[in-house]
Amino acid sequence: MTVARPRTLAEALGALEATPDAHLLAGGTDFMVEVNFGHRRPTDIVALRRVVELQGHEHADGHVTLGAMLTYAEIEADLAEDFPALAAAGRTVGSPQIRNAGTIGGNVGTASPAGDTLPLLVALDAEVDLAGPEGTRTVALDEFITGPKRTDRRPGEIITRVRVPRVTGPQQFLKIGTRNAMVISIACLALVLDLDARRVRCGLGSVGPRPLRPRAAEDFLSGEIDWDGPRAAPGAVRRFAELVAEACTPITDQRGTAEYRRHAAGVLARRAVERSLQS
Amino acid sequence: MRPTAVGTPVDRADARSKVTGTACYTVDVVLPDLAHAVVVQSTVPTGRIVRIDAAAAERAPGVLGVLSHANTPSLAEVPTFPQGPAGQRRPPLQDDTVNFDGEHLAVVVADTLHHAAQAAALIDVAYDREEAVTTLEAGDELPPSGIFGEAPDSVRGDPEAALARAEVRLDATYTTPTEHHHPLEPGATVAAWDGGRLTLYDSTQWVSGVRDAVAMTLGMATDQVRVVSPFVGGAFGSKAMVWPHVVLAALAARHVGRPVKLVLSRAQMFTSLGYRSPTVQRLSLGARQDGTLTAIVHAVTQQTSVFEEFVAGAGYISRSLYACPNVAVRHRLVRVNAPTPTVMRAPGEAVGSFALESALDELAAQSGVDPVALRLRNFAEDEPQEGLAWSSNALRECYQVGAERFGWERRTTEPRSMREGRHLVGWGMASATYGVHSEAAAARVRICADGRILVTSGTQDLGTGTYTTMVQVAADALGVPVERVTAALGDTDLPPAPHSGGSQTAASVGPAVWSAALDACSKVLALAEQGDSYAEILTRHGIEFVEGRGDARPGASASRFAMRSFGAHFAEVQVDPELGEVRLTRFCGVFGAGRILNPKTARSQMIGGIVGGTGMALTERTVTDRRLGRVVSPNLSGYAVPTHADIPWIDVCFIDEHDPHVNALGVKGIGEVAIVGVAAAIANAVHHATGRRIRDLPITPQTLL
Repeated sequence: MTVARPRTLAEALGALEATPDAHLLAGGTDFMVEVNFGHRRPTDIVALRRVVELQGHEHADGHVTLGAMLTYAEIEADLAEDFPALAAAGRTVGSPQIRNAGTIGGNVGTASPAGDTLPLLVALDAEVDLAGPEGTRTVALDEFITGPKRTDRRPGEIITRVRVPRVTGPQQFLKIGTRNAMVISIACLALVLDLDARRVRCGLGSVGPRPLRPRAAEDFLSGEIDWDGPRAAPGAVRRFAELVAEACTPITDQRGTAEYRRHAAGVLARRAVERSLQS
Repeated sequence: MRPTAVGTPVDRADARSKVTGTACYTVDVVLPDLAHAVVVQSTVPTGRIVRIDAAAAERAPGVLGVLSHANTPSLAEVPTFPQGPAGQRRPPLQDDTVNFDGEHLAVVVADTLHHAAQAAALIDVAYDREEAVTTLEAGDELPPSGIFGEAPDSVRGDPEAALARAEVRLDATYTTPTEHHHPLEPGATVAAWDGGRLTLYDSTQWVSGVRDAVAMTLGMATDQVRVVSPFVGGAFGSKAMVWPHVVLAALAARHVGRPVKLVLSRAQMFTSLGYRSPTVQRLSLGARQDGTLTAIVHAVTQQTSVFEEFVAGAGYISRSLYACPNVAVRHRLVRVNAPTPTVMRAPGEAVGSFALESALDELAAQSGVDPVALRLRNFAEDEPQEGLAWSSNALRECYQVGAERFGWERRTTEPRSMREGRHLVGWGMASATYGVHSEAAAARVRICADGRILVTSGTQDLGTGTYTTMVQVAADALGVPVERVTAALGDTDLPPAPHSGGSQTAASVGPAVWSAALDACSKVLALAEQGDSYAEILTRHGIEFVEGRGDARPGASASRFAMRSFGAHFAEVQVDPELGEVRLTRFCGVFGAGRILNPKTARSQMIGGIVGGTGMALTERTVTDRRLGRVVSPNLSGYAVPTHADIPWIDVCFIDEHDPHVNALGVKGIGEVAIVGVAAAIANAVHHATGRRIRDLPITPQTLL
């Protein structure tokens, strides 16, 4: 097994070109589990943690770009004001040790249906920057993740940054698991009331093959909310919750049944709206 | 001598070495020229091995050797506990049969762990697969031949007639799933041969059991085997008996002519060190209208492996906890293509109490009697099965003190009648009991001319505090401060002691240490007048040290008295009525367990038991794929033990109990009583919160919707 430890993006791309089947290693919190369980036997690895271009985050016009190697611990500490729901999601990941290792680029690249940061990123219409042999490109996250642990990343490409639009308005992240910490979600939900655009934004995790955007539910509630409050009639909130539940395409697994997941998504949706509205 | 150390919250003697990482656990042992072994396990639940192709593995980098049934010498069977020290009678790698998924089929030894793991993945096994029984429900029920020397079935009075006449009757079936111990330190052995002598570093609850089992299975004299286990990273019963990987480590080291370390992976832990059998428990209660019990019938079905029997007596608790004239207990086994189960913290009582104490709560609701009052009404003045007097029994005080500390009188009767915000609040309680056990044990106490005292015994400290409590006992016997005393444990070269299970270590080894210390003291005093210090006397006589020997064995009181620890658990839960999430928000456990040698380490042990019971109640379950007979998600993500965030502050209280009959120290043992009844107390609290009676553990969110 070879391990390349590039320090610049150019070196990383070069290493990937030299070993095209190499696995990209970020925090390793998913990848190393698969190696340890014998599900993967990588022959080549390109480790990205030292790549300078992938570090930190920057505020730009209307959005924040997150370096792919930004850890959950950094998100908790540095982005709680910009994206409180992202910080909240980060806080629910694993243990402090895992949060020191796991990265936003890894969460996006692994594309687990249960990835905790993904519902909020999808809800905010985040975009993914990729660098590759053909140059750079930017893809909407919602399109980038194509299925369970499947993405549109092309051979030779590296996720460099995640661009997250800054949105004014309350944000929520809610998660259900079999215990209170160190747990993969049975269902999770992120909700943003985009006060400027007067739009409800919602993302769902663990209730479908990839993070879901319940657009019909969003459209419905966006039209029902009195945005000057913001306020909404209880009946509208309940209907929103029903539409969110309908948008789910869950499976039954060891953590929970499909029926429970659908039901739970509806409950989380209603609670998230209630917490965000002026009462 | 007036005790000054015993009974006080002395800091853990090994705390510094553990938190600074200098305590050397088995997984930490490094020897010159150490090689590493990785076990290869079966991937079918039953059948025959057609071929094991190890050629690629043998050619792989760093590989020193591969053992399979093709090249493993014939090994002797070792009887399983309590007849012998084995967890699994069948020795490893003896033939081509496969009896469960995850059975050891080969072991690969290499110069590094990485090379061994890499080569292990190259071993190709072809099977002729056969039809497997993969669940308890799928097999035929058989009566076990015995349960730790007791009859599996027993009847007192006429339970059927009493049930037919009962004014109140309850029939219910309760189930518990397969549960695993999952100590932090996995099963681990380091084997080193020196000619015909074998030294084993092993993570075990029983160094002399490992010595005996390995000597027996390899056909060696026991004095040719030494077993060392100074620190054990948790066990909970998984290391009470000797499992095949220990023998594999010894064989592997002999095969390659180098010391070998074998550490099981977390996934392998699901099939290598036993587990708590799932249970199906049918319980029938008969009672008078006021809740006085007139009949209990407790019928338990559990599983064992297809090749041998192990059964923990889950129904026995129903014979001895309450005064009831008519009691029948029945145990049945189903043979499943699964590993042999084993003891796990409070074997029998932990799961049996879930059924009995849930049923008592159902009876309380049905007869309109408060759950505490119902239990007081059925308090057993004497041990009900044998009719012996209790050596001591503080159960009534446990109820009373627990109820006061918890505020039980403020509990509303009706389910769903207490709320906190959007959450339903429920209060539940249950009784706890566990037998007092002890076995013969020996210890030595050395008083040195420089004033230092050394206690030695071949017992074990599983993290329970043996190092600390044995120091306290010796310090008090000699009248010296604990700082002067150190203990060395976990080595078969030390005086023999029994396995650290059945909550018996303090009760067995404590009296031996006490007597050894008194013996040493009398040897010094024989040299001089009282009043001088030990150091002065020894120095004056030019003696480097004196050594006292102590042997202790269970006294004759065991035939005259019934001896048990008791306790009462009180739990508060909050249930999210829309999502079914259960949060334990408050817990109080009160115990009458004889003399408490160290309230600090004892409290930790009780908290550990209560946390274990909380896992039983809410999260822990090993899921097996019915078709494959294989554990699903064999990891600590799939098997969820409670985290800190799941556990509230726990109120632990000990009743001041003086039992002159159990042993010289009045110690009853505490390791196991703590978990008994916890799951029932939580399930009863869930019922009080929601009105839903959950009879199948664990209580997951979706079971409440």
